[in-house]
Amino acid sequence: MIKPLYDYSGDFDPSFDYGKLSKEGLVGLLAAYSNYIRKLDGHWYLSVMEKCGKDVAYDRDIDVWNKLMKFEFKIASEVMNIRGNGVDSVAKYFQVSPWFWTFKPRLELKKDRLEVTFEKCPTLLALEKEGNGREAQICGEMEPELFESIAHHFNTKIKVIALKLPPRKSADDVCCKWEFRAGVNK
Amino acid sequence: MAKLLKDYSGEFDPGFSYKKLKRETLLELLRGYADYVRKIDGHWYLEVMRRCGNEAAFECDAAVWVRMDPFEMEMTKRILGTGGDTPLAMAKTLQASPWAASYNCEVEVINENHVILSYLTCPTIVSLEKEGMGREKLICHDLEVKLMREKAQCFNPAIKITPLKLPPRSGPDDVCCQWELRLDRPK
Repeated sequence: MIKPLYDYSGDFDPSFDYGKLSKEGLVGLLAAYSNYIRKLDGHWYLSVMEKCGKDVAYDRDIDVWNKLMKFEFKIASEVMNIRGNGVDSVAKYFQVSPWFWTFKPRLELKKDRLEVTFEKCPTLLALEKEGNGREAQICGEMEPELFESIAHHFNTKIKVIALKLPPRKSADDVCCKWEFRAGVNK
Repeated sequence: MAKLLKDYSGEFDPGFSYKKLKRETLLELLRGYADYVRKIDGHWYLEVMRRCGNEAAFECDAAVWVRMDPFEMEMTKRILGTGGDTPLAMAKTLQASPWAASYNCEVEVINENHVILSYLTCPTIVSLEKEGMGREKLICHDLEVKLMREKAQCFNPAIKITPLKLPPRSGPDDVCCQWELRLDRPK
């Protein structure tokens, strides 16, 4: 059996593919892809904002994510087999999503309630640095809709409550905090 | 040692990480992520085109990739150790990039300083041909040639990139595009 590669620093292999990488190599690559996905989306948003204005960028972002969320759910259900209609499924989704992996949210599952705390958020850091107050729209309007679509993918009766949203008092403050409350299975 | 998971269908695990998954599952996820990358880019382009027209979408696309390509090359070199200053190092990096799973690319190595890349399949050209608006002229000729040269800069500014074959194709069996990567070292 051929020993899996940790990386591809050796000789050129005309038939190289990811299947030849070791488990550790694959995990490293997945982490890098997660960051890549976030950067790609961010650069698109900023380019459209620069070229077509902030309203168009915001509006297109919503349409893009309505389509991409379906693809994310497909990965979660088909590859990771995350199904079920409880808030525990939402928690599991946050752990495996390529998008949320970069954010490493703190998840506290309490029976029929899930609290999700984002202590770090590169998007909010960039928005704070930009200083145009766009976090009011992105974190206060778009994110609640996005989280609702995640919750409702698993169960339309799950309620999403924003417990804490930007602006932050300081850099030590949490970025945002959410509660997902089950409406069934009591 | 804990048993590796095929998927995450079991109970919620507060300490879940991808390290707990089987290699085959990680591989499947990686393919999913690669597809995700292509979808993000494609959906953004189409949504902007729908609202603001192709010219604006193309300009945004070019601005995005001028920034993303160097990041992608450096990321792949760092994670997979594919760095170097030769066309062969560039070919290895392209084989392992997040986009690689989307294409079937044949690499002909004449020597480490002279490589031919032939893209036998390309979902973008298939979509553009289906759309029939001739956008491949802008994307494959104007943008890709520029971006391939930008990528070469990440390895060695002296690498010459020559497109040997670009769309339109004579038929679906024709190669999508073909590139020569060449570095003439002073003797």
